[in-house]
Amino acid sequence: MNKYILLPLLLIVFASCEKAIGVDLETAAPRLVVDAAINWEKGTDGKEQHIKLSTTTGYFSAIIPTVSGATIVVRNSANTEFPFTDSGNGDYVCTNFEPVIGETYTLTINLNGQTYTASETLIDVPPIDKIEQKTETGFGSEDDRIDVKTFFTDPANTNDFYMTRYQTNINAIPAYGVTDDEFFQGNQVFDLYLNPDIKQGDVIAIRLYGISEQYFNYMSILTSIVGGGGPFATAPATLRGNVRHVGNPNDLVLGYFSLSEIDKRTYIVY
Amino acid sequence: MQIRQKYLSLFLFLLLFQFSFSQQKFTLSGTIADSQNNETLIGVNVTIPELKTGVTTNEYGFYSITVPSGTYTVQISFVGYQTVEQSIALDKNTKLNYKLSGEEEQLQEVVVTDNRKATNIRKAEMSVNKLSIQSIKKMPVVMGEVDVLKSILLLPGVTNAGEGASGFNVRGGGADQNLILLDEANIFNSSHVFGFFSVFNPDAIKDLKLYKGGIPARYGGRASSVLDIYQKDGSSKGFHVNGGIGLVSSRLLAEGPIVKDKGSFLVGGRASYAHLFLKLTDNKNAAYFYDLNAKLSYKLNPNNSLYLSGYFGRDLFSLSEQFENVYGNATLNLRWNHLYSDKLFSNLSLIYSDYYYGLDLDFIGFKWDSGIKNYNIKYDFKNYISDNFKLNYGVNAIYYAFNPGTLKPSNADSGINYDQLERKHAFEPAAYIDAEQNISKKISLYYGLRYSLFYRLGETNSNIYANNEAVVFNPVFQIYEKAKPIASTYYGKNKTIADYNYLEPRAAIAYQFNDNNSIKASYNRMVQYLQLISNTSSPTPLDIWTPSDQFIKPQIANQVALGFFRNFKDSEYSLEAETFYKKIDNRLDYIDGADLIANKALEQILLNGEMRSYGLELMLRKNEGRLNGWISYTLSKSQQRTPGRNANEPGINNGQWYSSVYDKLHNLAATASYKYTEKWSFGANFALQSGQPVTYPNAQYKYQGLTIPNYGQRNENRLPAYHHLDLSATLTPRKNIGRKWQSEWVFSLYNVYNRANAASISFRQNYSNGNNEALRLSIFGVVPGISYNVKF
Repeated sequence: MNKYILLPLLLIVFASCEKAIGVDLETAAPRLVVDAAINWEKGTDGKEQHIKLSTTTGYFSAIIPTVSGATIVVRNSANTEFPFTDSGNGDYVCTNFEPVIGETYTLTINLNGQTYTASETLIDVPPIDKIEQKTETGFGSEDDRIDVKTFFTDPANTNDFYMTRYQTNINAIPAYGVTDDEFFQGNQVFDLYLNPDIKQGDVIAIRLYGISEQYFNYMSILTSIVGGGGPFATAPATLRGNVRHVGNPNDLVLGYFSLSEIDKRTYIVY
Repeated sequence: MQIRQKYLSLFLFLLLFQFSFSQQKFTLSGTIADSQNNETLIGVNVTIPELKTGVTTNEYGFYSITVPSGTYTVQISFVGYQTVEQSIALDKNTKLNYKLSGEEEQLQEVVVTDNRKATNIRKAEMSVNKLSIQSIKKMPVVMGEVDVLKSILLLPGVTNAGEGASGFNVRGGGADQNLILLDEANIFNSSHVFGFFSVFNPDAIKDLKLYKGGIPARYGGRASSVLDIYQKDGSSKGFHVNGGIGLVSSRLLAEGPIVKDKGSFLVGGRASYAHLFLKLTDNKNAAYFYDLNAKLSYKLNPNNSLYLSGYFGRDLFSLSEQFENVYGNATLNLRWNHLYSDKLFSNLSLIYSDYYYGLDLDFIGFKWDSGIKNYNIKYDFKNYISDNFKLNYGVNAIYYAFNPGTLKPSNADSGINYDQLERKHAFEPAAYIDAEQNISKKISLYYGLRYSLFYRLGETNSNIYANNEAVVFNPVFQIYEKAKPIASTYYGKNKTIADYNYLEPRAAIAYQFNDNNSIKASYNRMVQYLQLISNTSSPTPLDIWTPSDQFIKPQIANQVALGFFRNFKDSEYSLEAETFYKKIDNRLDYIDGADLIANKALEQILLNGEMRSYGLELMLRKNEGRLNGWISYTLSKSQQRTPGRNANEPGINNGQWYSSVYDKLHNLAATASYKYTEKWSFGANFALQSGQPVTYPNAQYKYQGLTIPNYGQRNENRLPAYHHLDLSATLTPRKNIGRKWQSEWVFSLYNVYNRANAASISFRQNYSNGNNEALRLSIFGVVPGISYNVKF
């Protein structure tokens, strides 16, 4: 059960009264963004991994500046190195990564004489049991919509955290959700994807991630920032990831270094 | 009884000033009511011009004035009624009840307040606004429905978070800091569905008073204001019905005698049906409310009266029956007025109040119920010792039972487990004493003390944290995080987990320059033991009330105010200027990303901060004539600060003061009603306010396929200015005058020039093309309303 679905639902009522307007915004000095999500897809060897470096820019700017020339190395607890090489456009690639469930990895980035570091654990995930769809009455005067439910079984004796990602062929951006097992320990549950625009024939790429509690806290804030707004919104929080600027603790580095085992499915709506 | 009274008087006067043994004093007392329906009248002026002294009737219509023996002309005056003068030879304690007749229909002026003549200048009472129900009924409001809360928003120092927002903010305070009483019973949520209407049926209301500062000692439990609302008793003379049909809702009220001139009943209800129009457009959403007010009054004998009143209201909001939210208040109270003597009036109230809120999300598969029950006993005494000295004292005790949430799976294939969040209990007793004293002809004093206590009680399993810190600061990541409990303690049923006690002094002084000018100052301390856990800008149906405990401290408010009051042209105009400063300690703030819903350990997401607000309020009123109304302007600031707990922690916003979400620099409101002819009268409201505080992003970045806005300082920006003009016209068919059956048509237009006021501005990616957008949400454009009201 995703608690964060509740408030955005209220927005649906008011959606028709929203209008895009022009606003004068300031632009802050650029900050480093580390997009380092190491995902090990079930059934693959997980050797190829990508990390992206970029900086922040003005809110309405069309281009996001990328960062090149950094040296990126990920190490496991045995100090085995997995280097990521700059392949251009801020994309750094590693081809010999060794994912191990429960292993702790450390990320080190050297850029312009500065060092940035982060540490996380690779969390496993139960497999997706099944995916079902259900036609539901539309909200308000909308047509009936199709809800997609992704089922998985939560292990009973551990406190587990999950993230889901949905990318459809009709939307430009993916939708993320996070949940913890507080209310469904040990049960088979479903994650709900609610998109009133999907129709028969649409394709949805679904991913289920096992995540750490710290990443769950991070993504909870992130999903409320990107999905929220409206009269019931909370004051937007400063999103702090786990990447630190060594020697400069007040410098805010955006993004997160996460490691997850993931299960992927492609679902075609019938 | 007589001897005990003398001892009490003697003791008190030894502590204070003037007491004259030289002349015998006698008491003139009684009850003043409306001659048409026996409804007691609150705030009636009983003056003795020869002595330049007077009193006003209390909430139950009772007055008592003690003066030296002699012959006097007693003058009884009250807005909307004919003044009565009677010559009295006072040579013994005399009981005089009065029945006032309404002013003739043709001459009836719509009067906006009833602070008339010398009373508002003289009394050491300030920061108070009293609104008569007749004036509220003439103001144009949303969708043509009369509304109590929307009317107080036009007063200086009162704002709210905007259209669709429930609750109201007084002098930069939160919506949770208002004590709202309906016939002395506590109301937790004063708004129906999303703040469009208040829970108060205007037909059932007799009187209301809003205290923004200088709050008397008999009130306690909330930091910023008291909205005290009294229901009508019901006519004990004849049977009457009052009703109205509108576009959005309808109401019906019936009142009449049970025993003529002794007992009466009042029953009223309202229901909205706007959602039925939605069904016509094939929209399956529903939003409706209904409420019911009922009262039984019985006068046993001249010294004893009994009142039984009840209120029940429910709101339902549902999205195609898959998401359903239900909430509402219910209250039941029994009150007994008893006159121990003609100088000692008492009221005993036994109150039960229940606030329920629940959610049903069928498509996810869970059902959620939560609520607050409270049991309250109050015993208040008003001792009218002399015309220059009045003593009030009493006790109050409330027992609370909170259900923070019961979670149930709503159908067989839901994956949700049953869960019950631990129930919370608390006990809040208090005692108070205060005095209203006229030191001289020019100086009036009010001074009092309230002593309040609070006990957070078990049965509960309470968490224990290292260093007693439920929130820890992670210096590596520079964020506040929930602490993990190291142990837990069990407290048995009704065992004290934490307790607090505070003295709350209240004082005011008025200095009268002459009949038309005065200057006043006041100080009050209020302590609030219940906190509303909400980190949104205005209350939502998902907010939770929680009692103070060992981690959550009570809010303590200290407010000073200074004011200047002047009446012009024989009270045709009046001017009030007040300046205030309010500081509240222990205002809660939330760590970033606080998860409030179904939270079993709220202490892990809360930080302790403080709040301050200050400002200037101006109000110019025209009290008489065909055109009357007022203009109010408030210039104020409201800020919050949450410093780090030690030098290593930054706190929220680096421990700097930042604007609270209730900060509105400018607030201008004007209301006018004009009686054009016997048939037509017109009304207009205009509001202009600074925009609500908002946080704007100052950058964007890409992460995992999403574009994320990065936000600047909290609440540093402002939404566009909020303003709207509303007009109304009331048509009273000529045939009404003098007839038993009266009717009128009310036509209203809300937001005449269709301004799209921003309720919020959100920053999101467009779902189709991924571009960054700033989206303004506005709720009301121009809204017409028609209603038809009848009375017989």
